[in-house]
Amino acid sequence: MHEVSLASGLIEIVSGQCKNNGYQRIDSVNVKIGRASGILPDALIFAFDAMKSDSLAKDAVLYIEEVLVGGHCRDCNSDFAVEEEYVLNCPCCGGLSFDVTAGREMDIVDMEVS
Amino acid sequence: MKVKVVSRILEANDRIALENRRLFDRANVFVINLMSAPGAGKTSLLERTLSQKTGLKVGVIEGDIAGSDDAERIERLGSPVVQINTGGACHLDANMIYEVLDDLPLDDLDILFIENVGNLVCPAEFKVGEDIKVMLLSITEGHDKPLKYPLMFQESSALILNKMDLVPYTDVDIDKIRKDSLSLNPKLRIFDVSCKTGEGIPAWVDWLKERARRV
Repeated sequence: MHEVSLASGLIEIVSGQCKNNGYQRIDSVNVKIGRASGILPDALIFAFDAMKSDSLAKDAVLYIEEVLVGGHCRDCNSDFAVEEEYVLNCPCCGGLSFDVTAGREMDIVDMEVS
Repeated sequence: MKVKVVSRILEANDRIALENRRLFDRANVFVINLMSAPGAGKTSLLERTLSQKTGLKVGVIEGDIAGSDDAERIERLGSPVVQINTGGACHLDANMIYEVLDDLPLDDLDILFIENVGNLVCPAEFKVGEDIKVMLLSITEGHDKPLKYPLMFQESSALILNKMDLVPYTDVDIDKIRKDSLSLNPKLRIFDVSCKTGEGIPAWVDWLKERARRV
């Protein structure tokens, strides 16, 4: 729902880093988005493309790697990933003592510049 | 040429939120980011909370897409209040809060409520510099909400179940709300209240005072 504000922040960060590194244009950007982050990848790409025109990212393609919600169970010691956006109990043993270790990502990984 | 960019997309917001937090800490004010769906009763909860004799000075930032009805309701109770109109944006962000801090007597306040835009999705993502997030769910919204909007339940320190006076007239499964909410967030503190009758408000206010004292 707030993909436009995110796209605007994203363009600002990558354009700044591109300029600081002395490059003229960004060809592509790789980001990681967790399934539990509340972000719709398609909407983020749409917003990125709509807002990039006046920036160093104007020709850039945005690639999104989706990250599943995952955790570590303290009962059975297993590491797991689930299809849902949340974990209610360990999918291996049904236990309730687990730590959610992945799925909230909203990270910029790297970019291709020239 | 490949360039590593190790950064959160929300970095700019998080940076401003940190600055807000610094200003709040300096003024010794405990800040609550209050979130819910539209119509759950955020402003009614604030009216009830402000009407309790706590001896604490409480200020409010009202976030709405448009209008100042909520701020007027708070102003009538004699509390310092600032209205933010987001002009369409579905949440408050750290910069919107930063821009209005000069309009509040921060040094005189013990507690500051930031009433977010009514929305169960986005407000949970954007830090505004708060000490805690508190979520309000009116029971008429249904018992499926924790699993449909898990993030907000996970991020909140307290869940206030409002409109408990309506339980006899609905099919809502309150136990399911409690069970699912606690599965998502075992540390969540749950309060049953009715802003209409005032039931349950003292317990919530006692908890709030206790949390605020720890700052």
